Amino acid sequence: MKRILLLMISSLTLLGCAVEVQPIDFGKAQCHFCQMTIVDRQHASQGVTKKGKQFQYDSIECLVKELLKNGTESDFAILLVSDYGQSKMVSASQATYLISDKIKSPMGENLSAFEAKDKAEATRKEHGGSTYTWDGLKQRFSKDGP
Amino acid sequence: MRGVGSHLAVWLLLACTVGWAEPIEVSPSGSIPTIEAALTLAQDGDTILIHPGVYRENGLKIERPVTLRGVGDPVVDGEFKGTILSVSAPDVTIEGLTLINVGRSYTSEFAAIYLSHSDRFTIRNNILEKAYFGLHVERSKSGLIEGNHISGEALEEADAGNGVHLWRCSGISIRDNVLQGLRDGIYLEFVDDSEVSANTSSDNLRYGLHFMFSDHNDYTNNTFKNNGAGVAVMFSKFIEMRNNRFSHNWGASSYGLLLKEIYDAEVIDNEFEQNSTGIQADGSTRINYLGNRFLRNGWAVKISGACYTNAFHNNSFEHNTFDLSYHGQLHDNSFDGNYWSDYTGYDLDRDGVGDVPYRPVKLFSYIVNRTPETIILLRSLFVDLINFSEKVSPVFTPDNLLDNTPLMKGPVS
Repeated sequence: MKRILLLMISSLTLLGCAVEVQPIDFGKAQCHFCQMTIVDRQHASQGVTKKGKQFQYDSIECLVKELLKNGTESDFAILLVSDYGQSKMVSASQATYLISDKIKSPMGENLSAFEAKDKAEATRKEHGGSTYTWDGLKQRFSKDGP
Repeated sequence: MRGVGSHLAVWLLLACTVGWAEPIEVSPSGSIPTIEAALTLAQDGDTILIHPGVYRENGLKIERPVTLRGVGDPVVDGEFKGTILSVSAPDVTIEGLTLINVGRSYTSEFAAIYLSHSDRFTIRNNILEKAYFGLHVERSKSGLIEGNHISGEALEEADAGNGVHLWRCSGISIRDNVLQGLRDGIYLEFVDDSEVSANTSSDNLRYGLHFMFSDHNDYTNNTFKNNGAGVAVMFSKFIEMRNNRFSHNWGASSYGLLLKEIYDAEVIDNEFEQNSTGIQADGSTRINYLGNRFLRNGWAVKISGACYTNAFHNNSFEHNTFDLSYHGQLHDNSFDGNYWSDYTGYDLDRDGVGDVPYRPVKLFSYIVNRTPETIILLRSLFVDLINFSEKVSPVFTPDNLLDNTPLMKGPVS
């Protein structure tokens, strides 16, 4: 009996610390960086720290700006961005980014992310702009200042 | 039929040669049964009268200056296929139409009426229902948006669009509209020198009114009720906010008014009633808050970091759970000469000003900000004790955060 109890307690504790992504509650959740309510499924982003703390953002630029401002990217176990046009979240470091005046994003940077690189390039050909890798994107934003 | 044809020919001849234009009449049973047909016939400056009926049309293009006027109550049903009316000409007037069922899309911003490069437009007295975006205006100057009723289905769907969405516009008047069930009732991005007045914006998913990167605008006499948050003013300068009513914006991340990174604004004679937070200010500088009334809010005012030269005078704080929450140093913000219903001081010289200063920040509000769950202790004796001891000898709250001249009477009661 004691053993079972111990097992239950330890499993609960482990669950409590699990590094899992909580889905964004669109229309209710608030951007951690700019405080706006998160509504845009094409541009939202989120992160989970190694300790399991959840951070959610209404746009990719808010995520990038917060990471650059606080220098906290290494604290994160998971970083996700919306795959434009697909309504799903994909790994931030693997995605290809497009800044195009034709696709507006919530905080005015006109920044979108694509899981598939060829889709990003195809969209760039259609709408204009330029594509970036995750590292290239951070570089571009650190030049602009926070 | 021949008779009708010759009539038409005569009209066209007159319109072309004499420059005198009879209105083009559209009705389901008439010779011109569709709006599309009327638009192909129309010359610059023509008026198209649309008679009652249901017109199942979408993707209509207005490419020259014309007036579209509904007579009676004509309905244009977009059947959820994209944008209904696209305007790309100056001097266009659209009035008295009911436009319903705008298309939905994750990536295209379909609207009931989309205007681009359309200076001096007038959109008046229309009803837009089941709009994804209602009015979507880009790169246009000097327009009037008046008396429209715009509603969407945002309460069910998070991917709704905005009621009035302006991007890179200037000199626009938005007056007497009703906006409901949208993402943002009114959204202004890169919009300058415009006014928003006497609108009612309620039950919207995100904000009743939202400014982004927009300078030199004012909004007056509007009502914002039961929105995700009432009004958000972000990254903007020189915004005047006067005589508005913010009420019932309840929820964990809800505000009456959210100020973020704004400079040189005036917040005057507004009423904030029953909001989770009346005003939330973050990174806001040179803001004057004068003559506002805060009634029964959770927090009347929350000041976060990096706020400088904010002046609160002659406001009335009545029966809020917390009057003020404050982060960091006082800087040069001032809170003198307001009425606080929680003030327990006295006025021996009877000059209407309390003789002892008032401390608007309660210690308990710090604790609640750190650990929201502690709110359950709000009415306990223990909390009263720590609030009192902090009042007597401030340790956690900035000791110079005082109203040195608290008013004994509220401006209205």
